[in-house]
Amino acid sequence: MPLSISGDSPNFTSATLTTPTLTSPAFAGTPTGVGVLTSGTAVASTSGTSIDFTSIPSWVKRITVLFNGVGTNGTSNMQIQVGISTGVVTTGYASGIGYRNGEATSTTGFVVGQMANTTLTFQGVVTINSFGSNIWTSGGTLSRNDGWAVLSGGFVTNIGGTLDRVRITTVGGTDTFDAGSINILYE
Amino acid sequence: MTHRIVVDVQTGEVTQVEYTAEEQAAYDAAIAVQAEASAETPAETPAETPAETPVEPTNEV
Repeated sequence: MPLSISGDSPNFTSATLTTPTLTSPAFAGTPTGVGVLTSGTAVASTSGTSIDFTSIPSWVKRITVLFNGVGTNGTSNMQIQVGISTGVVTTGYASGIGYRNGEATSTTGFVVGQMANTTLTFQGVVTINSFGSNIWTSGGTLSRNDGWAVLSGGFVTNIGGTLDRVRITTVGGTDTFDAGSINILYE
Repeated sequence: MTHRIVVDVQTGEVTQVEYTAEEQAAYDAAIAVQAEASAETPAETPAETPAETPVEPTNEV
C-alpha cells in the first residue's frame, strides 16, 4: 500500500504522520524532539585494565553505564573516563564518592566505586550527561556485594571536542577486571 | 601482554586490544612503583579488641 501523507501539498512542510508504524527505523541525522534510547553491547568485564565503548554518536546527550557484578583484582577505586576522537581525556575532572565510612575523590576520571578489597563487586548505574560546551557531568549509585552503597558525582571541564567514547577503568589504571559485565545505554 | 576490551557501539564488535610497547612500559613502571610503595608501608597491626567483662547475674530479691 502506498504511503499517504496529508498536509500542505505539494511541499509537505507541515505534513503530519498519524499513528504510523515504523519498522526498524534508522536515524541518519540528529534526532530532535524525540528520545531514542539505544543499548550498546554487554561485554564481560573479566579481563583487561579497561573497558572502552567507542563510536558513540555525536548527537548523544546522556550515557548510562550499567554495572553487573563488576570487580577487579586490586584495590584501586573504579572510575569512568570520557573521550574524543583523539583519545581518552584523563585530566580536568572533579569527582567524588561517598560511602558508609569514607569518601574519595579523583581528578583523572569520574570515580564511581570504592574498592576496599579484591572480593568486592559492584552493581548499579552511573549516568554521564552533557552540560553543553563539551562539559559533562556524572552521577550514580552503585551497590557493593557486601551491601554497602557508593554514591558518586562529578564533572569534567571542556573535553576539547565531541564525546565519542567512554572508558571504565580504575584510578590507578593497572588493576585488571575479573568479574561481571558492563553495558551502556545512550540517548 | 596487558590489554583492554573495546566495544564498538555501532557495530557491536568486541575486540581485545593489546597494549602498545609504550603503554606496556608505562604499565610496568606503574606496577614497579606500587610494589615499592607497598614494600615501604609497614603492615598494619590489627587493633586489639578489649575482652568483654561478663556481667554477673544479680540476685534481686
